[in-house]
Amino acid sequence: MKLNTNQPSFSSYKRDNHLFDEIFTKNDEVKEVYKTLLNLYSEHSIQDYARLNEKAKASFFNQGITFQVYGEHETKEKIFPFDLFPRIIDHKEWSHIEKGVLQRSKALNHFLWDIYHDKKILKQGIVPLDLINSSANYLDQMQGLNPPGGIYNHISGTDLIKHSDGNYYVLEDNIRCPSGVSYVICNRTALKRALFGVFNHYQTHTVTDYAENLLEIMESVKPQGVDNPTCVVITPGIYNSAYYEHSYLAKAMGVELVEGRDLFVENDFVYMRTINGPQKVDVIYRRIDDIFMDPLEFRPDSTLGVPGLLAAYKLGNVCLVNAPGTGVADDKAIYTYMPQIIKYYLGEEPILNNVHTYHCNRPDELKYVLENIDKLVVKPVDEAGGYGISIGNKLTKAEIEKVKAVIKENPRKYIAQPIMSLSVHATYIEDSQSFEPRHVDLRTFCLLGKDKSFVLKGGLTRVALKKGNLIVNSSQGGGSKDTWVLKK
Amino acid sequence: MLARVANNLFWMGRYIERSEHVARYLNVNYFSSLDAPNELSQSRQFVLRSMLFMASDPVTDPNIELDEGQVLFDIALNKEKPDSIINYLQYARENANSARDLISTELYESLNKFYHYTLNYSPEKFMKSGLYEFTVHVAESTSILRGKIRGTLLHDDVYSIIMLGINIERATQIIRIINAKYNDANLAGGSYGDHLKNSYEWTTLLKCAESYDMMRRYYKKAPRSLITLEFLILNPNCPRSIMNSLNQVSRHISDLSKSKTPDKNSAEFLVGKVRAEYEFKLIEEIEEDLQGFIEKILNTLNDIAKKIEIEYFL
Repeated sequence: MKLNTNQPSFSSYKRDNHLFDEIFTKNDEVKEVYKTLLNLYSEHSIQDYARLNEKAKASFFNQGITFQVYGEHETKEKIFPFDLFPRIIDHKEWSHIEKGVLQRSKALNHFLWDIYHDKKILKQGIVPLDLINSSANYLDQMQGLNPPGGIYNHISGTDLIKHSDGNYYVLEDNIRCPSGVSYVICNRTALKRALFGVFNHYQTHTVTDYAENLLEIMESVKPQGVDNPTCVVITPGIYNSAYYEHSYLAKAMGVELVEGRDLFVENDFVYMRTINGPQKVDVIYRRIDDIFMDPLEFRPDSTLGVPGLLAAYKLGNVCLVNAPGTGVADDKAIYTYMPQIIKYYLGEEPILNNVHTYHCNRPDELKYVLENIDKLVVKPVDEAGGYGISIGNKLTKAEIEKVKAVIKENPRKYIAQPIMSLSVHATYIEDSQSFEPRHVDLRTFCLLGKDKSFVLKGGLTRVALKKGNLIVNSSQGGGSKDTWVLKK
Repeated sequence: MLARVANNLFWMGRYIERSEHVARYLNVNYFSSLDAPNELSQSRQFVLRSMLFMASDPVTDPNIELDEGQVLFDIALNKEKPDSIINYLQYARENANSARDLISTELYESLNKFYHYTLNYSPEKFMKSGLYEFTVHVAESTSILRGKIRGTLLHDDVYSIIMLGINIERATQIIRIINAKYNDANLAGGSYGDHLKNSYEWTTLLKCAESYDMMRRYYKKAPRSLITLEFLILNPNCPRSIMNSLNQVSRHISDLSKSKTPDKNSAEFLVGKVRAEYEFKLIEEIEEDLQGFIEKILNTLNDIAKKIEIEYFL
């Protein structure tokens, strides 16, 4: 079966030889795992897709799976764009990814324990001391503290891409409050509803077991002396852009979704105000940032947090998931030391590739970066959401000079990487009413508990809907795809 | 359940119920006035004043000339007015949002669709030709919501709290409707014989409470003041009656309360006290001073809500 551009749904599909296409080989043959899918999809007319696409959008909208866009006059509710063409990952490829992300999560947990205790890896010079000293995300409050179960990054979201060489590379590890897992589940539900006749031709792993595993992980790190821990999810509130996810997770786990104002601390124990009076809380999955968590320890003007929460945590009376201070390890500068960190703590070779990184704080590497800026992606080390990134081959001469000046001003703040070419995937484009190749990445979700771990068999495939765009973040106009991990 | 969220769910119930009564009041009064038996009841100004009397603030100055389009728009779709149907639905949805982890997807989805329907309803269309369609849609959607509340939620504390909100609001709105129509009947009088007691407005009142057919079935008579009031206030089998709402409140509050003998200052005790009083009340006693009764029962309902707030929501 070959790429047939006479077929109306693929009439705008222009395969680019420089890019890795997830569906078609270099000879325009359909890859093995996608053959059944493409056969089934060709039974539908493009009008069917247009209709199914509208239906899927309406379903997301009616369920309130939306985010707010603040305009000049009124706020509008928008859905996260969802694509009807799923991504398929076969068993073998997946087991490589799964082992790799678990290895990274474990290594990061060891690393966090070490830098908040003996700092061996710094003393031995494997990771430079000043990377930690200069990090705004290192919390002195966490120094010497033993989190329940010894776990810091209970929940990790690792972002992967497939490069033009066909290999997966890790772009970053998110171990503060990685979000997106609710969309994995929504996408699956929406796709099953829209194209159930396609779904049942594949043996795909479920993704709905995430919440029960998350609850088990939370219960595994309960404070000492507690038999049946009360777990809660804390959210900044209904206006937060990820509120749907917070409410979904609380509902799926069957635990309370609380706000800071629902909790209070008395005698270093945490309680929530219920209709039957105060109830003690033992494990908190917090979806608020470190600095807003406790106005007594961090930002005094924070109304999202709970006064005294950190004191209760320090005494081991409550467990915070993820631990405070994990942000120091998902810094883009620390990322570049991941191969060494994995080797140091686990004595293993890294399973997943790191993208080669140039540190602008090293003079010779800074020189290379400044001379080759058109071939590099420059990123600030401490920004999230795709902000502040410049992609060399997309810049004008004047812009290049601007970026150079910004880097020279504060080299520690920047790293640079070769321009990775993200693989492309067939994506339904509303404007042309056909499938076109678009860049994709993959966010995986990994859970660590006391003597327990779990990697969600699936993930969030984010897709850059703008032609040629490499940035897939939803804040930059990205959508997402259902991701099928096939059974053996 | 969190106290804050319980408060929100209580108000979700109240706002859903309130939007229904206001919508039906608009619908019934507007359309029944078109062929009302006397001149005053047919007058636009009379009907618009009645609507404002029930749904927001009464206009007492006889010299003010009300604009029909503006009055209808204000009560139904004006986002600037805190007591418009569109705002009630926005509050209800916001309250539901804060409790999304506790309520069913089905309930949330119905409320969300209902809210967006209202949000996207064109005011031009509404004022020109959509009054009937819109108000019927509101009444039907609220029925669907109550169905989802009863049929998809766990019948636990969450359910009891929502039902408390619905029933306290229902009793309040029925009293407000009785008050408004009693006022209309006083002004318009009847068509023949004894004016007030045979007024056409009693029929409208029953229709506003969706109780006309069942009242006819129960009494086998045309509506008059006494039997209409008895049906809507004291009949425990009329689903819209004050008595029935109080019985529901009593049931749900004792489901929530953990104590066997309620404290004398509690909401549970107060509800029991009021119920006991009305159980053996004669409608003739109420009719002697209907205005006094209306004020008293509104205050009592307010006290019950306040006590619930203090006991459960703080």
